[in-house]
Amino acid sequence: MFKDLDPILHSQLRLAVISLLISVKEAEFTFLREKTNSTAGNLSVQIQKLKDAGYIDVTKQFKDNYPQTVCKITKQGIKAFEEYVSSLQSYLGNGRK
Amino acid sequence: MEEKKITEQESLDLITTMIKKAKNAYHDTGMSAIMWGAVVALCSLVKYSEIQFRYRLPFDIYLLTIVAIIPQVFISIRENKERTVKSYDDNYMDYIWLGFGICIALMIMIVTVMSNHWQPVADEYSKLSGKTSSFQLYEFVSPLFLLLYGLPTFITGAACKFKPMLWGGILCWVCCVISVFTGAKIDLILVAVSAVFAWLIPGIILEKDYRAAKKGLEQAHV
Repeated sequence: MFKDLDPILHSQLRLAVISLLISVKEAEFTFLREKTNSTAGNLSVQIQKLKDAGYIDVTKQFKDNYPQTVCKITKQGIKAFEEYVSSLQSYLGNGRK
Repeated sequence: MEEKKITEQESLDLITTMIKKAKNAYHDTGMSAIMWGAVVALCSLVKYSEIQFRYRLPFDIYLLTIVAIIPQVFISIRENKERTVKSYDDNYMDYIWLGFGICIALMIMIVTVMSNHWQPVADEYSKLSGKTSSFQLYEFVSPLFLLLYGLPTFITGAACKFKPMLWGGILCWVCCVISVFTGAKIDLILVAVSAVFAWLIPGIILEKDYRAAKKGLEQAHV
């Protein structure tokens, strides 16, 4: 019996953001936008969804008088990502049999 | 990239791509390595020329290493401002190089105190025996510094999989061993060679890579 894939993570842009954040300590909004080639508006919405799910922490601050948004994955986010990857592997592993 | 549902295989491919992108995200500017490589090599070569050509500058050339802390602070501030992502590796590397700086400061203090204690003994020996002591403390100062130079350079090279720095670190230790058996004049040349190969050349390579990455990024945004 397969576990359902986490609907929060099983979306292209949100998964891309979480995959970037799992590899780094923290990243600025501009970095995430550049690496995901997304629009600022769309990325903001998806970041908010990840934040609401408790998967990432978002800190808003000022850097040289410009607003800066810094994102960081939470422990809950790491756990969800690991479970998601493990579910994916079981889906794909079974598909290959 | 949009907010859309994807297949399981696409998910796995996306995760792999993003992790790779994150890993290649940060490029060191190489400025610190270039500056310290040049400063240490210059100080050693000037000191060598002072001994070789029997002249003395009105100040100790090694004071330049203290002056170099000022541009280093500005380089660090600028690099931190430009950095849009912080990796776990960056954090460890910062601590390793900070620890190295502290070790160098402590080593200078230890060597100065030792030298102040040893000099009266050497002077008394010369007075009593009429010969200069065959043991000169300054002959063993360079190996100690080369020992320290090798450690953070080797770790950085190995951790960042950057071979020029890895080999540079090893070269520092090779020069350390050689300098134990050579005179102070040759030791200074060995220190200069180590600084050039461990920091200056890797720094130039890093700076070139940084420029290329920045140019690539600018073109991608056009």
